[in-house]
Amino acid sequence: MIKVSNGSCIRRLGFRSMKASRTRNTVAVLAIALTTVLFTSLFTIAASINYSLQQENFRRAGGDAHGSIKYITWEQAEQLRQDPLIQEAWCRLFVGMPHEEPFHRSHVEVSYIEPNGAPHYFCAPEEGALPREGTNEAATDTYVLTLLGIEPEVGAQFTIPIVLDDGTSAPRTVERTFTLSGWWEYDSAVPANHVLLPRSAAGELCALSNGEEGSLTGVWNLDVMFAHPVGIQENLTAVLEHAGYQCDMAGAENFLITGVNWGYTGDRMVRGFDPTTAITVTVVLLLIIFTGYLIIYNVFQISVTNDIRFYGLLKTIGTTGRQIRRIIRRQALLLSLAGIPVGLLLGFAVGNILTPLIMAHLNYKNVFVSFNPWIFIGAAAFALLTVFLSCARPGRIAARVSPVEAVRYTEGGQPKKVRKRAVKAGTGGASLPKMAWANLGRSRSKTVVTILSLTLAVVLMNLVYTFVSGFDLEKYLSSQVATDFILAHADYFQSGANFRSADQALPEEVITEINARGGVTEGGRVYGQENTIQVFLPEAYVRRGISSVYSEEMLDSVVASREHVDADTVAGSAMLYGMEDFILGEISVLEGDVTPLSDPGQNAIAAVYHSDDYGAVNNDSNCFQIGDTVTLRYVTEWMNVDTDTGEEVSPEEAEARYERGEANFVPRAKVYEDKEYTVCALVEIPRALTYRYTLLGGSALAMGAELFQRDTGMHSVMVYAFNTTEESDAAMNDFLEDYTESVWPAFDYESKQGAMAEFDGFRRMFLTMGGALAAGIGLVGVLNFINAVLTGILTRKRELAMLQSVGMTGKQLKRMLVFEGLYYTMLSAALSLVLSGLLGPLMGAVCSIFWFFTYRFTVLPVLVVMPLFLILGLLVPLLTYRSVARFTIVERLREAEG
Amino acid sequence: MAILETRGLRKIYGSGDTEVRALDGVDLTVEKGEFAAVVGTSGSGKSTLLHMLGGLDRPTGGSVTVDGRELSTLKDEELTIFRRRKIGFVFQNYNLVPVLNVYENIVLPIQLDGGQPDKAYTDQIIETLGLQSKLQNLPNNLSGGQQQRVAIARALAAKPAIILADEPTGNLDSRTSQDVMGLLKVTSQRFSQTIVMITHNEEIAQMAGRIIRIEDGRIVTRG
Repeated sequence: MIKVSNGSCIRRLGFRSMKASRTRNTVAVLAIALTTVLFTSLFTIAASINYSLQQENFRRAGGDAHGSIKYITWEQAEQLRQDPLIQEAWCRLFVGMPHEEPFHRSHVEVSYIEPNGAPHYFCAPEEGALPREGTNEAATDTYVLTLLGIEPEVGAQFTIPIVLDDGTSAPRTVERTFTLSGWWEYDSAVPANHVLLPRSAAGELCALSNGEEGSLTGVWNLDVMFAHPVGIQENLTAVLEHAGYQCDMAGAENFLITGVNWGYTGDRMVRGFDPTTAITVTVVLLLIIFTGYLIIYNVFQISVTNDIRFYGLLKTIGTTGRQIRRIIRRQALLLSLAGIPVGLLLGFAVGNILTPLIMAHLNYKNVFVSFNPWIFIGAAAFALLTVFLSCARPGRIAARVSPVEAVRYTEGGQPKKVRKRAVKAGTGGASLPKMAWANLGRSRSKTVVTILSLTLAVVLMNLVYTFVSGFDLEKYLSSQVATDFILAHADYFQSGANFRSADQALPEEVITEINARGGVTEGGRVYGQENTIQVFLPEAYVRRGISSVYSEEMLDSVVASREHVDADTVAGSAMLYGMEDFILGEISVLEGDVTPLSDPGQNAIAAVYHSDDYGAVNNDSNCFQIGDTVTLRYVTEWMNVDTDTGEEVSPEEAEARYERGEANFVPRAKVYEDKEYTVCALVEIPRALTYRYTLLGGSALAMGAELFQRDTGMHSVMVYAFNTTEESDAAMNDFLEDYTESVWPAFDYESKQGAMAEFDGFRRMFLTMGGALAAGIGLVGVLNFINAVLTGILTRKRELAMLQSVGMTGKQLKRMLVFEGLYYTMLSAALSLVLSGLLGPLMGAVCSIFWFFTYRFTVLPVLVVMPLFLILGLLVPLLTYRSVARFTIVERLREAEG
Repeated sequence: MAILETRGLRKIYGSGDTEVRALDGVDLTVEKGEFAAVVGTSGSGKSTLLHMLGGLDRPTGGSVTVDGRELSTLKDEELTIFRRRKIGFVFQNYNLVPVLNVYENIVLPIQLDGGQPDKAYTDQIIETLGLQSKLQNLPNNLSGGQQQRVAIARALAAKPAIILADEPTGNLDSRTSQDVMGLLKVTSQRFSQTIVMITHNEEIAQMAGRIIRIEDGRIVTRG
């Protein structure tokens, strides 16, 4: 084709003809805006969750530097930070930590951080400033000040006993008094608390340490930011290399330790490629595109149909199909220009409102609403894509208009062909419902799209409701909670920390205090083991247990290095519980009888099995059966044994080997006592009462509390679980909440109430997300419907007047229009019912992957929406007709068509 | 020199019992500068003939050659472009673009083609048709006669090989009709513009230089 420059002319035509159709424009802008709102809020929520997750990780990691080079001297730091790869860098001089009361349970670090680095450690003073050089000033957070019992006021004096690490087991403690120069709110997501000193004061304190090799006091860390968070380790390696260092060979002269902030790697990267998230976002994106398509397509389709004469005319005087398509695209673009910005603003607002609601469940300590420009760029791009997809077909139709058709349309001005069909459809005379039905058939695509658009929202709403109402509280509670309350050391609840030593035991006075509060109906203790207890296990079982974490080649040597009692028996690790009678009543007995456990004389023991979330018992989770003899080895002294020679390695020698990076020795029991027990039952312990971690290749066993204490000599209460009367539930909850926060901060609790609230929150999150999406799509559907009815009546103004002129009363006419409206909505309702009925069970099957989901068939939302549809179907045609009926029949008849 | 020529032109709608022979072998030649009127009763096939001549519709058989190009050899898109360059239309109901003003309507076909209007020529046309004072008006603010004059100006502006006028006075009263016919005749002479006009009105047809009668899809008299 010849390239011609007719752009301005096409632009003018597009613009002018657009201006001529006000109603269409209003609806189109609204539709585009709504679609953009859906995109923007989706992106805002996704970006905010991602951003909050990242921020949470940075806080947990202690900072947001890309990486650090650790344990270096000031000179090394100065040299390394010159590297051009580094965009920003800051140094930190570690001084020491206070250990004494009130700091014994906290992690407080005293250090100097270069001013530009403080915000990266989340240590930017909100009140006051960083300490000034040459003063005794210090800045810290509200947590440290609370521990010290000091009001956060600039100028306040506080004293901290700082333990200076000098590489010995008896480090020196120095007490210093500082003047508070500034403070910031403690962020509970950050594991460490900081006390920041001026450099001179930090240096002076460090000089008091002996500066031994390996002491932490007096060493510098260099934190660095690169241009982007990809390949941090490679960049760090390169920086070291440029300066003549390396981080691969420990022990070598020029070796430096480097660290990559896992906030940039681990969790976040995994999350970024999390397939479920990706699939969810993609599905929702497609859904929004489809929703937007349904309405924008319909709006353009209707307007093109109405303006078909105009396009025919353009065709006749020589406008090519390509030019007509361009005219339509141009109009779409102009309408987008109006609709998209509005949608972006509204969508961002909606996203801001929804994000906290959705994230309330996600247990993040901080919720950040992301203001990422990509949200807007992405949302605008997707909205534009939707618009162009939507107007492609109407554009093609307008471009295909035959000029003769257009000429004919105008020639006689007779009633359109379709009208005749409308009357013909009624064989027994033209009844109003039949005429209305025939009218719907005049533009099938409009009818179908409108009905689909309305149906989509209802079906979605129904699916969301089915999903959420399928959340089974009973199932959820039965696996999460055993009793009304459980109390334990905070570590017990912390994955990664867990119960491991006597330090984490629940003191008896705490239990006494709880019982004294009244309302406790029954309760029991679970005793936990404070150190390793061995159990004799079949080698094959151990091998199977650890096979998931070792490669096939390593497996042999790992199994071989385990302590063998005989050829097939290994002394593996036991996970031993000591349970009081009340607890024994709470665990489920798979086989056998647990009553012998209560009698220490019987030396009875129960083998603990696990089941998955769906309740299927994993037979590989233990190796003991009823009647088996279990041998436990209680070790009082350990030694290290050379893996090659089998000879004992002295602690000094082991230390030296460890320093050299040689791992050719393993711990073995030195002084021990073996005892035998008989398995009386196979049991399963509710998750709430277990150690909450798994021991691969080990065996979990339970015995009575008395026997446990007698044989192990351990008396640490891991968990105290108890029930309360219903009336005192709330009071106990308040008491525990208050006490675990202020009086026993080391302890924490879980309650049935809490679990129910968590469950509720989870349910609400899905309801909020799904509900918001359904509401958005529903709004689009209703707008689509209004547009269909509105244009349907407006373009038939003359025809309706003609019907009246030949004797149809206004009442009859209104009835016909109402029938049309009702057909739309009722057909949608019927289709929704059918689709929901079909899709419900399908979704039920998919959602069974949620273990606490029980599918129940429901079409309640469809039924609830029906009266709403009834009202819509009645009101919209009536209101529209009222605006038309303002003009007399003659006026309407005389008005030129189109 | 024949600017327009048809050979055995046929157009048949439907088939079997419902078959309608709208054109049944029309041979027609129009010379450059001629002002010809095609006359026939309603249903005689004259409108179909005009559609074929203008490339608005495709014939069932035979050929139409305009300015040396056989229309059936052109693809749809090419035909549209050929039409806007070589053929000007004047319709009974004017068919002006309602959202463009008079001047914009007149130069639209030229601009659609990516060309610049020939200012002197366009001015001359506007003057001849007496539209100078109406250039900024929108079509629906004009009388029927004025609208038809705009349509004629639009047809002329692109310097087409022929102008096809379909009942150009069909919507006008007799005085305005005479007026418009006069203008058509003047422009035909002044710009030596070939015009083929369709009408059912013998009196109007008399003003043309030549009358072609059509009945039942065939040409009956030449004059």
